[in-house]
Amino acid sequence: MTAPASIAAVLVVAIATGLLGLRGVRVARTPADFLVAARQVPPVLNASAISGEYLSAASFLGIAGLAMAEGLGALWYAVGYAAGYLVLLAVVAAPLRRFGAYTVPEFVEGRLDAPRLRRLATAAVIVISGFYLLPQLRGAGITLQDSFGAPYWAGVLIVGVVVTIAIASGGMRGITIVQAFLFWLKLLALAFPALVLLAFVRHPPLDDVVRQTAPTFPRPTTVHVPQSVTFDVTHAVPVSASGVVDGSAVKGSYLLEPGRHRVEGGSTLVFPAHALAPHVEGLHPLTGAQWASPLVRLNGTLTHPLAATYGVIIATFLGALGLPHILVRFYTNPDGHSARRTTAVVVLFVSTFYLLPGLFALLGRLNAPGLYVTGQTDADVLVLPRVQAMGATGALLAAVTAAGAVAAFLSTSSGLLIAMAGAISHDIMGRGSRAFRSAALGSGFAVTAGALAVAGFSINVLVGWAFAIAASSFGPLLVLGIWWRGLTRIGATVGLLVGGGAATAAVIASMAGVGRTGWPAVLLAEPAVWTVPLAFAVIVVVSRLTRWTLPADVTGKLLALHIPEEIRSLERRKTRV
Amino acid sequence: MTAKPPRQIVTGRPRRREAGRAYPAIEDLYTANSYGQTLLRSLMRAQLGLSLSVLAPAAAVVALYPLLVVLVPSLAHATVGFLPVSLVVLGGGIYPPLVALAFWYVRRARRIEERFIELLLKEKEDGG
Repeated sequence: MTAPASIAAVLVVAIATGLLGLRGVRVARTPADFLVAARQVPPVLNASAISGEYLSAASFLGIAGLAMAEGLGALWYAVGYAAGYLVLLAVVAAPLRRFGAYTVPEFVEGRLDAPRLRRLATAAVIVISGFYLLPQLRGAGITLQDSFGAPYWAGVLIVGVVVTIAIASGGMRGITIVQAFLFWLKLLALAFPALVLLAFVRHPPLDDVVRQTAPTFPRPTTVHVPQSVTFDVTHAVPVSASGVVDGSAVKGSYLLEPGRHRVEGGSTLVFPAHALAPHVEGLHPLTGAQWASPLVRLNGTLTHPLAATYGVIIATFLGALGLPHILVRFYTNPDGHSARRTTAVVVLFVSTFYLLPGLFALLGRLNAPGLYVTGQTDADVLVLPRVQAMGATGALLAAVTAAGAVAAFLSTSSGLLIAMAGAISHDIMGRGSRAFRSAALGSGFAVTAGALAVAGFSINVLVGWAFAIAASSFGPLLVLGIWWRGLTRIGATVGLLVGGGAATAAVIASMAGVGRTGWPAVLLAEPAVWTVPLAFAVIVVVSRLTRWTLPADVTGKLLALHIPEEIRSLERRKTRV
Repeated sequence: MTAKPPRQIVTGRPRRREAGRAYPAIEDLYTANSYGQTLLRSLMRAQLGLSLSVLAPAAAVVALYPLLVVLVPSLAHATVGFLPVSLVVLGGGIYPPLVALAFWYVRRARRIEERFIELLLKEKEDGG
């Protein structure tokens, strides 16, 4: 289907972002440029920019979608995405700013005198950014599908190619003011519709959600099927269909008998009020009580729920440290103390934002159970306003959320692609803008191709995997590098290889469908629960065994990490006198 | 390691709170005075202690809630007013403490640093 208001909103945000970005083409993403900005960027603006770059399609669409599909346990992702900044604040913010490293590869090189380890860290940056970019493009595909009626692959392809070319040609830089604008846009684009839908638009009593045995259509509801689906019907339901159902063209009433049915893309089904929503093949139907549980489900089932929940918690709490597009932003802080202040404000901002996805999940389950039929729960934030409010109000609110979704995938995907291409060109291909351009083109197109292949995965699960890999590779490296003098070059290398490698292997195995039940399912789908402790242990043990590779002058390096700036100027004056 | 050439100042007085370089002035800190080691250790220990005292309560809360739900299964689908408890906790109640911890940490971390600077200034006066 197409929604003219949403189309307009999508285009306005895309064009406004592009124009704002073009004005800053000269502002390149080098440390010097961030330093230039540092003198003028106050903490609140800086925190808006960090939050803007951080809140991705996973936060805007994915959390609500996953919580709608798999239950409120999915909100742990939101908690972790916010708490990750508390960890970042307490562990790395000020020291990294003081050390002057603004990417993890630079930090490991400077801290451990290890140019070769820098290459390895760069490889990890590429893996993490790649995994993180996939769901952003998936979000783009869903948004364009919903508002333009474009096929999923077309949306992915258009946004992937446009963002890639924009970055490669030097446009759409992560300018502070653009990212800050996009943060407030995203926050309002979620808060305003949530408020209206909750307070002013008719919906079933909210606590019905716990009592229902299955998601139930509150009133006669038209469900558009964008691409062909197979779903399971438990209780016979008479629908009014238009399109191809079970292999034959139908126009008019049709009885969906219990069992499996196939509906071709482009069809519409009108479900009567109080009908139980059929669930798309592979989506586990949950009772209201099951859905309300705050434990993390895997494919709809509570398999070793504590391990799965702790896996998500560990991955998200430690993963934020290692996100390649975020740390560089901390360079716009003039000193360590203001880096801390900025981070605390980020905790406040993202926490405020994360009050909202749960509400969308709740309202989505009550009002838009059609999404269970199509399996498009990731589109909940986009579709819910139209389904719940209907008419002009609905179209307007849907346009607002579509605008927010565009802001979400544009801001994060441009930041990630710049970080990825910057790492590749700087550390592997040799510096220069031509190297950056070809790196951006190569990685952008590679990721776009990858995003076409992940249509079946939840946005938020994909982002959770990027966090798990970051938490298992860079998390321990940064924590120990900043706080432990015993870290050695070899310890860090082996830890990075073992931790990052194990997490990446687990994620790929899980994507490929290895181990669907029991412990293997949990340990592969939520690898952080074992790969993070493993990485810490390996780094500590190997560092102890290889003390001869301790970097020269550990004290000097720790001084650079921890000494407040004021002392530095004192020391400097003292040496001069 | 080869000997470093002596540091020379060619551009006049270094500015206070100079932020304009890609790497920190590690060379300057090589000349840290003899009690630098002890001071550094005490600063790091104080800061790490503070970090842990912020992260430990946060970790305790998030670790205990799922455990509590496993032990008291009816908590999973209880409601408060019109909202499921899970939504009230994970979609609301858990955030204010996180934010409060963050701002508390910023104040305390700064205080540790100020005390450290004071200490160093005093030592310098005493010694000089």
